[in-house]
Amino acid sequence: MGLWQKLTNNRFFKSIYREGYPDTDRKRVMVVINSLALHLHPVRVPKKALRVSYTWGLGGLSVWMFVILTITGVFLMFYYIPSVKDAWWSIININTSVYFGSFMRNMHRWAAHAMVILVLLHMTRVFYTGSYKPPREFNWVLGVVLLTVTFLLSFTGYLLPWDQLAYWAITVGAQMGGSTPIIGKQINVALLGGHQIGQPTLIRWYTLHVIFLPLIMIVLVSMHFWRVRKDGNISTPVYAAPPEEEEVQELPAARADAQEEAEAAAPEGGDEEPEPES
Amino acid sequence: MARVLQHEEEERVIEDPGERVHVWPHLVSIELVGALIYLLALSLMAILIRAPLVDLANPEVTPNPAKAPWYFLGLQELLLHMHPALAGVIVPGAVLILLAAIPYIDRSRVGTGIWFSTPKGLPITKFSAVYTAVWVIGLVLLDEFLPAGEGAHGISPLLELYGFPPAVGDIFVPLVFMTFIPWSLAVIVKRRWNANTREIIIALYTFFLASFVVLTVIGTAFRGHSMQLVWPWEIGTPEGVMGHY
Ligand code: HEM
Repeated sequence: MGLWQKLTNNRFFKSIYREGYPDTDRKRVMVVINSLALHLHPVRVPKKALRVSYTWGLGGLSVWMFVILTITGVFLMFYYIPSVKDAWWSIININTSVYFGSFMRNMHRWAAHAMVILVLLHMTRVFYTGSYKPPREFNWVLGVVLLTVTFLLSFTGYLLPWDQLAYWAITVGAQMGGSTPIIGKQINVALLGGHQIGQPTLIRWYTLHVIFLPLIMIVLVSMHFWRVRKDGNISTPVYAAPPEEEEVQELPAARADAQEEAEAAAPEGGDEEPEPES
Repeated sequence: MARVLQHEEEERVIEDPGERVHVWPHLVSIELVGALIYLLALSLMAILIRAPLVDLANPEVTPNPAKAPWYFLGLQELLLHMHPALAGVIVPGAVLILLAAIPYIDRSRVGTGIWFSTPKGLPITKFSAVYTAVWVIGLVLLDEFLPAGEGAHGISPLLELYGFPPAVGDIFVPLVFMTFIPWSLAVIVKRRWNANTREIIIALYTFFLASFVVLTVIGTAFRGHSMQLVWPWEIGTPEGVMGHY
């Protein structure tokens, strides 16, 4: 028995991964159905939608940046102090005396920039492939909200080091918000938590950055993924039908999906023949 | 296999998803490789390049220039040329609303799932990008160098010199340009390529994208002391921002 078998051929491993390594078609279906993370996917996808040059994986990479930002962000929260007096010094502390502190802070910063770029590129990919067209209209709208939340997350984080760059970027930002017609003053006060930049501003933006906006992001991304599935997965080519052709009704994609999973789960049904256990 | 579908809105289209393959291993392996490449690249960056940290915030010392992070520098560039309510609130708000409205304007399913949708799509994209870039760069240069008497420069100061109220140069003229450029682009694309709705929307999105890119690059790499136009190698560190720890 090899090491792999020793690791996998026991009750504990099998209680997690019920089917073992997915080396048969039936197991390939089951591994996707049974796993929470993989279940974001359908069981099978059109080969056309898989080409890297079609999506460039940009949506997936955006969410991967969010995961990296969450992990590095929690690490930074252990050491960062959201007070005007201590914030800057706590960053110095992270940079100089915390194990992996500088690495984690740099990673958090570069992943944040990467996420903004990736989300913009993802939107541009979706646009130029016409993937916002029906039935995906609403997912595009959700996307525009996600873009806004991405900007806000990045910008609220920019304030936290409380250095000259942060302070004056916020000054510029608050002035812009304050120039809103009619309700400018109110917006300015809401952004700053008062009439000037200070402790209320920092605590406000910190709270938005570490809890409120990430929660919103998680909810919206979940809805976004859900809709990708419900709208018939990644878009594939649609052409104009020549007028004389006969009409054929098709199952809505979501139902086709559910049917496939049902077939796979019931060993007798469908084209996913179960293999005999070895 | 290609199938003919009847859409609710009576649009008859052919969907061609083609052959389907299992997500495990075909998609999962691509995702894993992509995630690892990005993790590695970011780790390398994190080891090699430090995130900036400058002097402690000091309300007494205004950096010159005081810039927002790069993704807002396009808006900050607009701020130099028009009323702050326009540049800071109305333009970005309108952009987000118009972006969200795209699928409700271009409603045909035909062209989904194909890069640039039609053979005309790519040429229209290239033309629109160049057309927009020429306009935006031209206007930025004009507003920077147009003599307006007594050492002043710019469209707005010149109009004020001729007795127009500030609102004309700060609000009216920018609004005219911001509607005329995309409108004229749409007209040209429609005439020259006999463009359909999707192709016109492609031209307009490209107008948005090219404006964003050009303004962001100008704001980031070509604005130096007192937000004056300089070459990228002349920018240096802003005054009042010292020390990288
Ligand atoms: C935090 C930001 C975002 C995340 C994490 C995200 C994630 C994803 C993922 C993983 C997909 C699957 C296909 C792919 O990877 O390309 C997808 C598809 C899609 N996204 Fe996003 N997205 C984000 C922002 C946006 C934005 C800004 C837009 C547009 C304004 C958008 C519109 C869409 C649409 C319409 C689809 C369906 C595309 C198709 O069927 O080909 N998303 N998104």
